Amino acid sequence: MADPSGESPHRSPLHELHVDLGAKIVPFGGWDMPLSYDAGTLEEHRRCRTDAVVFDVSHLGTVRVSGPKAHAVLQETFTNDLERIEPGRAQYTHLLDPDDASVLDDIIVWWLDAETFDVMPNASNTDRVTDALAAADHVTEMTSTRAILAVQGPAARERLAAISPEAAEVGRFRVESFDWRGTACLVAGTGYTGEDGVELAVPLAVAEEVWSAVVRVGIMPAGLGARDTLRLEAGLPLHGHELGPGITPLQAGLGWVVRWDKPEFRGRAPLAAERDAGVSRRLAGLMVEGRRPPRGGQLVVRGDDVIGEVTSGNFSPTLERGIAMAFLPPDVEIGGIVDIDMRGTRTAAEIVAMPFVGR
Amino acid sequence: MNVPENLRYSSDHEWALADGGNVRVGITDYAQDALGDVVFVELPEVGAVVEANQSCSEVESTKSVSDIFAPVSGTIVAVNADLADEPERLNDDPYGEGWLFVIEPSDNDQLADLLDAASYRALTED
Repeated sequence: MADPSGESPHRSPLHELHVDLGAKIVPFGGWDMPLSYDAGTLEEHRRCRTDAVVFDVSHLGTVRVSGPKAHAVLQETFTNDLERIEPGRAQYTHLLDPDDASVLDDIIVWWLDAETFDVMPNASNTDRVTDALAAADHVTEMTSTRAILAVQGPAARERLAAISPEAAEVGRFRVESFDWRGTACLVAGTGYTGEDGVELAVPLAVAEEVWSAVVRVGIMPAGLGARDTLRLEAGLPLHGHELGPGITPLQAGLGWVVRWDKPEFRGRAPLAAERDAGVSRRLAGLMVEGRRPPRGGQLVVRGDDVIGEVTSGNFSPTLERGIAMAFLPPDVEIGGIVDIDMRGTRTAAEIVAMPFVGR
Repeated sequence: MNVPENLRYSSDHEWALADGGNVRVGITDYAQDALGDVVFVELPEVGAVVEANQSCSEVESTKSVSDIFAPVSGTIVAVNADLADEPERLNDDPYGEGWLFVIEPSDNDQLADLLDAASYRALTED
């Protein structure tokens, strides 16, 4: 599929290994990445809930921000508060539009040492984030220098310990360096599946070696298909769906990412105005009666009124029901029943608390 | 890809099998592989009148939704109700337990107009 920009898509440093494993490759955010492997999306999903899988997420951006001003620039740019953490920790945060408080990107920050941060935006938002941080002393795009492997699932650490006890022990939302046979790598206790697990950032020179070792200890490769159904079950937003132009953190139910005790961050004033006025819509979880997967763009209907649109929907392999997220009026309550218009067929859906699965 | 010699094929990746005087219909191995894991199938009603090349059913995978087109015109006389609970049969056995429905054709010549195995194989190898 042609990239709209006309540029040829980026390839992961692990691309050849994916092809050898029989992956179906699809375009995603300007990258060619695995959708699924031979096992298929459902099996990859179930394996992540019961055992362990590995995703290649090298398409995430890494922007290294360093120098004496780095901390202050991040503080006045992003919504979350670095005063709540310390070096060696990871933090989820947002970059807002200064004019309307739309979420321009959702980001994980790895705080490596006092003056060094790895800021990790979504694939297609890297330039936007780099621009927003331009006031820092050093802002270096590192994406092409490393691969990132997300090892996720209840058995992720146990299996990973067979090849790197050091990496397997990193605490939740902690960041540490570890040694891979003489090469310095990074590991963080983060992920996007609703399961425990770690993410490894490894230099290109050892990327294939680390991936192969991870697969060899019985950690099943999983693609973007399973990554999407897993994050959906976990109620986690995806930029371009539950976050993006016209969507604020408050509408997305992510008020905890915004630290009002900070004097300033980009978008603070318009967001404060929305907070004071009350949100006009809120992200809700919907569960349909049967297996039919709701799809993004389908209308949510109450009586004769269209009250929203599905932002993400699919079949939940764990619940064996169709599940979805949609922005709905704030008066819609948990337990309420609405309809989703699925290609002309109205299907009843219950408003449920998220996450759909797990904690 | 498995393309059995004894079946006829549509360019939309359905297969058709002469079954007594009726026509049994499913999706091809190529189609199930392209769809990925099937999680939901909406079948036509028994008794429904269907038109050749018109959508009469839907198959949804974790990835996308696809229309199923009737390869011949006629009346639906049977549907594979087991697919409601076990849609994965479309992936596991597309030419067997993953069949979709049976049409009593209104025009007995339409089956012969479909592709033979060699032509369909050529289509999928393009």
